Parts: sequence; C-alpha cells; structure tokens
Amino acid sequence: MRPFAYETAADVASASRFGREAGQGQTDAPTQFLAGGTTLIDLMKLDVLRPQRLVDINPLVARHSEIEVGPDGLRIGALAKMSAVAAHPEVLATYPALAQSLQLAASPQLRNMATLGGNVLQRTRCTYYRDPSWTACNKRQPGSGCAALEGVNRNHAVLGVDENCIAQYPGDLGVALIALGAEVELGGAAGARRIPFAELHRPAGKPHVETTLKSGELITAFRVPAGPWTRRSLYLKVRDRASYEFAIASAAVALDMDGEVVRQARIGLGGLAYRPWRAEAAEASLKGKPLTEETAEAAAREALSGAITHGHNAYKPELGRRTMVRALLAAKTMEA
Amino acid sequence: MADDASWFGVPTPRIDGVAKVTGAARYGSDEPIAHPAFAYLVTSSISRGRIADMKLERAREVPGVLDILHHGNVGSQAKPPPSMTGDKATNTLETDRIEHDGQIIAVVVAETFEAAREAAHKVQVDYAVELPSASFDSSGVTAEPKKQKENPKVGDAASALAGAEVKIDAHYSTPTQHHNPIELFTTTCIWDGPKLTIYEPSQFMWGLKAAVAKQLDMDPANIRTVSRFVGGAFGSRGGTTSRTAWIAIAARRLGRPVKLVATRSQGFTIATYRAETRQHVQLAASRDGKLVALSHEGWEVTSRPSGYNVGGVDTTARMYACPNIATAVNVVHADRNTPGFMRAPAETPYMFALESGMDELAYALNMDPVALRLVNDTQTDPVSGLPFSSRSLTACYDQAAERFGWSRRDHKPGSMRDGDWLIGWGCATACYPTNIAPCAIRLSVTPDGRATVQMAAHEIGTGAYTTIGLTVARALGLKLNDVVVMLGDSDLPPVPVAGGSNNTASTLNVAAKACEQVRDRLAAAAVADHESVFTGADPKGLRLSDGMLVGDNRHEPLAKALGRVTGGALEIHAENVPEGLPPTAIGSLYKGTATMLRGGSRKDVTTYAFGAHFVEVRVNSRTREIRTPRVVSAFAAGNIVNPTTAHSQFMGGVIWGLSSALHEATEVDPKTARYVNNNLADYMVPVNADVPEIDIIMVPEKDERVNPLGVKGIGEIGIVGMNAAVANAVFHATGKRVRDLPIRIEKLI
Amino acid sequence: MVLNINGRDQHLKVDVRTSLLDALREHLHLTGAKKGCDQGQCGACTVHVDGKRELSCLTLAVAVQGRKINTIEGLAGADGGLHPMQQAFIDHDGFQCGYCTPGQIMSAVACVHEGNARTDADIREYMSGNLCRCGAYPNIVAAIKQARSSMERG
Repeated sequence: MRPFAYETAADVASASRFGREAGQGQTDAPTQFLAGGTTLIDLMKLDVLRPQRLVDINPLVARHSEIEVGPDGLRIGALAKMSAVAAHPEVLATYPALAQSLQLAASPQLRNMATLGGNVLQRTRCTYYRDPSWTACNKRQPGSGCAALEGVNRNHAVLGVDENCIAQYPGDLGVALIALGAEVELGGAAGARRIPFAELHRPAGKPHVETTLKSGELITAFRVPAGPWTRRSLYLKVRDRASYEFAIASAAVALDMDGEVVRQARIGLGGLAYRPWRAEAAEASLKGKPLTEETAEAAAREALSGAITHGHNAYKPELGRRTMVRALLAAKTMEA
Repeated sequence: MADDASWFGVPTPRIDGVAKVTGAARYGSDEPIAHPAFAYLVTSSISRGRIADMKLERAREVPGVLDILHHGNVGSQAKPPPSMTGDKATNTLETDRIEHDGQIIAVVVAETFEAAREAAHKVQVDYAVELPSASFDSSGVTAEPKKQKENPKVGDAASALAGAEVKIDAHYSTPTQHHNPIELFTTTCIWDGPKLTIYEPSQFMWGLKAAVAKQLDMDPANIRTVSRFVGGAFGSRGGTTSRTAWIAIAARRLGRPVKLVATRSQGFTIATYRAETRQHVQLAASRDGKLVALSHEGWEVTSRPSGYNVGGVDTTARMYACPNIATAVNVVHADRNTPGFMRAPAETPYMFALESGMDELAYALNMDPVALRLVNDTQTDPVSGLPFSSRSLTACYDQAAERFGWSRRDHKPGSMRDGDWLIGWGCATACYPTNIAPCAIRLSVTPDGRATVQMAAHEIGTGAYTTIGLTVARALGLKLNDVVVMLGDSDLPPVPVAGGSNNTASTLNVAAKACEQVRDRLAAAAVADHESVFTGADPKGLRLSDGMLVGDNRHEPLAKALGRVTGGALEIHAENVPEGLPPTAIGSLYKGTATMLRGGSRKDVTTYAFGAHFVEVRVNSRTREIRTPRVVSAFAAGNIVNPTTAHSQFMGGVIWGLSSALHEATEVDPKTARYVNNNLADYMVPVNADVPEIDIIMVPEKDERVNPLGVKGIGEIGIVGMNAAVANAVFHATGKRVRDLPIRIEKLI
Repeated sequence: MVLNINGRDQHLKVDVRTSLLDALREHLHLTGAKKGCDQGQCGACTVHVDGKRELSCLTLAVAVQGRKINTIEGLAGADGGLHPMQQAFIDHDGFQCGYCTPGQIMSAVACVHEGNARTDADIREYMSGNLCRCGAYPNIVAAIKQARSSMERG
C-alpha cells in the first residue's frame, strides 16, 4: 500500500471537490472515494490500486442511506449498507430479487461494511488483475495483454468479452438492478444527473476504464421503478460452496404473467459476463408465450448464443442456460 | 495398563478452552515483543530462471526501511533447511537461481509493517526467464520411479488380472492442495547475545531448533523455539522452511527483534503442499466378490531437486485380503516448490483411487458396495502375512450402515430423487496406520498434591493439553485441575513431530511411564518404611488414587508418601522408546530427528485404525450444485482418551474429506507454473453452510498389542476415504463416475 | 489518533495506512483478533464496530475514530466471567486449534443480536463468513444455540 492523503468529505459537494482527480471511470485513478472499503482497501494492500488521496465519504451516510419504497418504485441511498437493504421488509416483499442478490453476496461482516454504491463498482476477481506480479493485464496496464486468455479461466466471463479482457463482473446486486431496469443518481461538481444502471458500466474495449462516471462524480442513490414484475422476481446464484462465494452463474428474473403467458420477462445474468448483463433477446423471445420448459430453454439458448469460451470456462454457456431456465421456472411458481 | 478402561473415555472439556475463547491463547505472532522491526517477503514472479538484476533504490527510499536481505548481501549466511526426504532442498536467497513460483528472493525489514510492505512492492526484479514446466502434461518434466524403499508386491498380479472373471481398470487423479491453516506463516526472532529465540507455529519444536542450528551453523543449545498454540497445521508446519533462518539473520543484522507475518498468498509457495497425483488401479475378483488381484500405480509431482513422494500404495496394498498385489510409485519433476505432508499425506489421494475402484468393482459385480468390503475384510496383513494388532472394519461398517439406513438404498444409479434434487448414497473405507515415536517428558509432583508436566509437545488443535493432563491426572490419582501442562517450548523435553497421527500415542505412553516411575518410587519407599501403613506390602499392589497412595485396603495421603522420598518435589525425567525401535532413536530425537515406528513396518504386528464412511449427496438436476446433507462415519481406533476432542478430530477429518471431494484444488497456470487461486476466496474450503449433520460413531476397540496404552492416532483417519465416498455417492445420484477431483459442477454438466 | 476500544479511549500514533486489525494487534497488544488472510476472506479478524460485526483487516484505523469498537478481550464480564457464548464454545468444543475462535465468537454474538440465529440453517448461513479450517462447524452451531437461549433470557 502506497502512502496517501486522507480527507473526510462532509457532503457531496465537498466529496466532489476533493475527488476531482477521481478519474473518468478509470480503475486506478489518483483519488478514490472510501466508503465500506471492502474492495478499495483490499486492492490497495495488494498494490493494485495506488491512490494518492482517499476521500472518506462515510460522513455522508446519514443523508444518503435512506430506503424509500413508494408507488413509483424504490429509492435507496448509495451509502446504504448491503445488510440493511437485504433485511428491509418492504424490499424483501416487493423486490425479492434485489434483496436476495444482496443476501447471497459476500458474508454478514462484509455486508455490514459494504455500501450499495461501492458494491456495484466492485472490481473483478480475476487473479491476473488482482496480483501485479502478473505482467499481462490490460485492465491494470493498458496494452500489456491478458494472461487469462490462455491461463486458468474457469470463472472468467463468456458474454460481452473481447480479446483484451475476459474478466468477469463479480457482483450480484448489479444483476438484479439491470434486470429491474434501475437508474442511478449521480452527484458531482457538474451537478446531479440520472442515468440508466445499464449505462453505468462500459462495454468491453478499454478494460482499464470500467464506468461512465465523470471526474469527481459519485453515486448518490439507486432508483428501481415499480412494475407488475417486481414481486414475482428472484435471484438464483449458482456456486461451488453453499455460501460466501462469488457466482459462477446467476440469474435475476422478474416476470409479469397473464396466467401461463408471459406479458413481460426481465432477465439479468451474472457470473457469466464482462459487465452486468441483461438478456434482452431472451426477454423478447418469451414475450407473449406460455412459460414452459421449452420456451425457457429457447430463451436461454438465445441469451447465451453469443458466448465465447476460453478452455476452462467452456462449461459456462451450458451452466448459464440451465441457471436461467431454473430461475424462470422457479419464478413462475411465485405468487405475483 | 490398557485393561483399565476407566482411565479413558470420559468426555472432558479442553483445559485450554478458556484461553482460546477469550483471545488469551498466544499464537506465534501474538507474543508481546518489545520494539520489533517488521519483515515483508519479496517472492519471485517467475518459476524458472535467474535474477538478472534487483533494483532496490526505490524500496530503500521508503521512510522507515531498515534493511533489505537478498542473495547479494546474505546469500552465503544460511544453508537451505534439510529436506524431508534427505535429498536436495529448494533454495531461496542462497542462490540467484529461481526454482519455483513465489520463491523468497528478498526480505525487507522496516520500522512498521506498512513501510515494509510498501518497500517490498517497490523492489524491482529483472529476470532471465526460462520456460518452466508446470505439471504432468507440461513439456520438460522428467519422470522416474521413486527411490526409497520398495513397493509392496505379492504373488503375480498380472497373470491374475489376465485370467479374472470380473475386473475394473481405471485412471484417477487428485489435485494440488494447500493446507491453508487459518494462522498465517509467521516467524519472530529475538537474539540475546549468542542465544536465539524463535516464535513460530511448529509441529516439531525440536526439529525446528535443530534445523535452524544447522542452517546457521549454531549450537542447537543456543536456540529456543516457542509455539504454545498453533493455529492449525495439517502438516504444513512439520518441516522447517527457509523463512526462519532469514528472519533470524535479519534480527541479528539489526540487533533487534524482527517479526514476519507472511501473506496468505505467500503461504502457497514458502511452505509445502499436497502435490497432484495420477493413479492407475486395476482390480479383479471372482464372481463372489473375493479379490484375486490388485494393481495400483501412482505418479506424483515434485520439485526439480526433491524426490519427495507419499507413496500411498503401502496402505492400499494392505486394505483387503488379496493374493496377488502389484504396486508402483513414480515421481515427476516440475518447476514447483517441494511438496510435503498434508493431512493423511499418502492415504488421502491413494485411498480415493482404491475406494473409487472398489465401488466400480461392486457395480461390475452387481454387488452391494458394503458387502464387497466385508467379503474382503481380513485380520491378516496381505503384504507381510502378519496379524493386524486389531482391525474392526466390519464392526465400523455394520454400525455406520445401520445408523445411516443403508439397507433402504436402491443400488441402481439415478434411482433416488427428491424434487429437483438427485440423491446418491455412497460409502468407503477409512484407515490410517498407527505410528508411535520416541518421546521424553519431565514430570514433577509437589506435596500440595499437584503435578506439573513439561514437554515440547504441540497443540495444533488436537487437544494435546487436555489428553496429556488427563493421562497424568488419572495415573497419579489427581484431579485434572491439579495438573499443570506446559507444552510448546523447546526448552522442555523433546517430543516427535506432530505428524503421522503419532503424537497422542507417543506423548501419552511416555506420560504414563513417568507416572509409573512416580508410583514406583512412592510405593518402594512406602513398603520399606517401618512406620508406614504399607510396611511389608507388595509394592506392585499400590496405586495412586484420589490424592492417596492406596492398596491392600490401606491408604495414606499423597503428601505423606511423597515426604518419604523428598522434602520437596519429586521430579521425573522419563523417556520412552517404543518396542521395535533401536535404543538410539531417543538420542536422535534430541538431535531433532523423529524415528517413527510405522504401522506397516513392525516385525510383530501391523497396526492400523479403520473406519467406514457413509454420505448422502444431493445434486441439482439442472445446475448440478452438489450438497452433502448428512454423513455417518464410524471409527475404531483403540482406547479413546477424551471423547470430546476425539469427536472433534474425527469430525474435522470428515469435513476435510468432503472438502477434498468437492472443493479444494490449487490451480497451476499452465504457461508459467504459477499458482493462480492463491487466496481463501478462490481456494475453496468449506464454510459453515457447506457442512451437514455429521454423525460420528466411536466403535469400542481394545488393542493390547498396539502400544501399552492401547491408543491409536486419530488426527488423520477422518479424511481418508471420504473423498471416494462422496464420488461414489455422486455416481449413485447421477450415473456419472468422476475420477478426477474435485467434483465440481462442470464435471456433471 | 484516538480509538474507542472496549469502552476506553486509546491514544495511538500510527501510519494512516494502518488497518484496525494491525492497530489492535501491533499497537494496542490486543491480539485476540487474528490475521488469517488480511483481505476479507476468512473472518478471523471480526470485531464489533458500533455494535455490528465487521472485518478489522479491511478497515482503516483512521476511519473508525469516534466509533465504538469491541473486541474479544472486552466480551467477558467486568468480573472476568465468561460471556455465555464463550462458555458455550467450551461446552460444545466449538473449536480445535482456536485460531479462528475469537472471530467466530464475535461473529456469533452479533448473529444472535441480529436475530439471525433462529434456525440451524440460519446459523449456518449467517456464520459462513468465518472460516474454520479445523472443521468445528457443527459444534459451533450447537454452541450458538445454547448461548442464544441464555442471551435471550439474560
């Protein structure tokens, strides 16, 4: 860990002012915001991140961690702790996929520390990224290559990847947020703005630039719109261990059903993709059809059709399909 | 003594329990040290080649940096630690050669941990890289038959296989695994003139002391190693690794204590591991299931210089009655660190292959897998022809099968289901040789009716404080509270390496012997004393009980009996050399070498403990996650000293077995021969939610031949065979035979 | 820097990079919290921050000034009597080597307080952030059930 200046921000404006070198979505910007610290401190110890300044935004918790459930949807302050949101009775009842994605992530201790804003920005678990002694990593060192392509890549992504990077987006919450069509409220020197969550993470191309956040900008809240699908939603996480493990495949599914027929399906995939992934073609293929084993499988084939594998992760498209089918059929049996 | 069952078998909470639940128990890096400097290791990022240049300027500029040790300035000041196989060890700072990933190449020492870490990250190394070989299939590996003693061979297995009615022929493989005790690898060194004190988690206090003395060319009498509590070991702390000597040198150069807490990732390369194996098993039987031939050949990865191997065919050849046995073991040298002992080193991988093979044979015979084991059970070691000192395998199967409900099993694979979950039931045999080694102890008894035991034994979680305390308390007729047990310090009499499940047998037999000497002294003096109530009695008839010397319907307080032989404390220094070992073995122990009397190498009997595992697996019909809701395992291992801690040992072993089946594997990058998942998020070990109901049955077993106390080691048997039981259950659930561990989702899709 | 540990303010002078875990262990000689991974993967360093269980290894000491930190050393009563959870771990042999134990116990106490120790399945899931390499898990579950009863009574 390199030495850094430690500042405390009292509000969004001062955070943004301190954080003007927080980079244009770059992974190793010279200024980093410290919230729960569960990703940041870890990567600083590993010498992957070497910020010169940390801006502690924990004093903002009081004003930016509220959970509001209204007729239009859900609004959650970005500094809300994962554990608080996961246990919130109205979130559990009305947005079960969201609550489950938090509940199934990390460990109780980490969920007590980590905030929602930090969670969606957590970094990939790719070892070749997390250990600077590996020289080839385009995410850490643009142009240096990707050691994972021919390395141990059992848990690397198969969707949205290119030859620059096959690192997997490791989060769970992001999968639920993208399925539910969430929006992100941002604050910064240039003022507040709101973007679809689907636009927060950049597609493959420049692995060292992960998000569309501007300099000094920070996430202040998430909005999840209400809809007839939110109650009939779930998050299915497939992993080797029964707990405390990142997904090797996951699906967030929300269904609006008219009897057996799908009015609208919303599907997010995790453990499989370079960034939070919405399976829009699969959603379209289900629209207006009865939800059966066959239609679910057809949708799953659609969702994984663009998968690119690299050896150890050759099983992932099939596992992804099965995960999605299982999630869809399980959601069908839920009460709306 | 083995007759007196009342000595043992009473469940007793650990006497070190309070220390452990309050945070007061001191592990190596918990020792309060005045004004230490902090070390941080720099390790190689290549696996084969040479250090062309090491640039230290940026590291030295870090405020607080005190010293940087590397090949150029200290390389000649220590020799590598002796290897466990007696052949050449891998190097660290002694050379500029890189022989494996993560080799220690520099040690940064600074005023603070933070400064040392920063500076270590700023050391720049230029390498002359050579193409490394990662594992079995890499180009550049070299293979050879193992060099140590011969492999078991009986009859003519090749002919018997050729002519057999039913046979199976299968290849199995097991992965690289790392012990990953939760306590990190730490070393703190303090010099006081010529004397060096080392605080380090160790499974062999006297071995560590002797090895470091050799490395640093010191008189071992000037070295003290301290390890009062060890935060898990599992074999990883049995041998001396290179870090210790460098930290000692760092402390000497600075004239100040130096403390190293290596990182979790560094632990994968600065210590040992369980190497990957490949195995070929051929079994043949007559239609009634009786084995007619067993052939087992293994291949094991090791480092370039070392011939280390575990050679588990020594055990698998002894498992069942079989007239024709052929075995072989080969080592394959790659650019890797040297492997070493890991819980049931030989038995874990090799019994996976044998017990998977037995299940395959059962299906080839259309025979119940339990019945196949029972029909081949034997009281005679098929290799040596000697009797087993005791062998209760059938009783273990009977009791565990009953408890598990095995009779309700439908033999057909894929036949049991609960909703979306496929259910499979599997079983396998557990075993572990009963080993014992020379051991020494100091025991003092004071007039206040208290005893103090001192020995350099190892509390690695086994409950050593309590078992030793219980043994002494019972032998001297004292309350457990009145026995002070001091362990984990090489200033105390030597105890062999806490490996091979020998320590309970080794420490308790010498403790009993010391207590017997106390009794002898007190009894002899009592009968010789004309004013004693025991005048003229047979001294052999006197014993110590409830704080009294008793016998012949007479008794007197211990203090009075003690007063006859001394005005103060009676102190005994006892040594025990198990029958069958040369008398010189005790001298070797004082020089840091533990000579083990092994279960399969005795001249009178073969000594093993046995057990039987039963496990239920559930495999999701779609996504193939594997869960294990319940396990029943039965073990027969002689006298059980403390059922409380014995239960924990068995259960922990079973969980290791589940983990070996489903979770653990260290991934080696094929191009660079580097470990990839070198942390606890990516190297899977079970979490609480993975662990099911585990029902442990301790089958009573009396064994008067194994050793005087009739105890068998139990630290390792629990893991043995469990991996096969799970694989067999997965086959039963899915019809898919997985011969390559661990069994993960991708192998069932 | 001032840290409130086990109800007392402790003054210390440390590098801004110092983790709460290293501050406790190396500067305040409170070595009950253990370093098992130093990267949030094992739970051995679990302490309570403002009554919630958190990982001291991923916490900067400088960032928890003004918050109430409780460690295993502060768990037993003022009279030295063991907390019911500590006693339950002894009664059920909820450990072997003991290294993960302070973290397990701090986590377990919080687990009961959170209301996440109602069923065996809940206990297993909510204790999954604390690795025990010796494999004492079933005994840990039994210990928590025992302590839960006395904590709810008391």
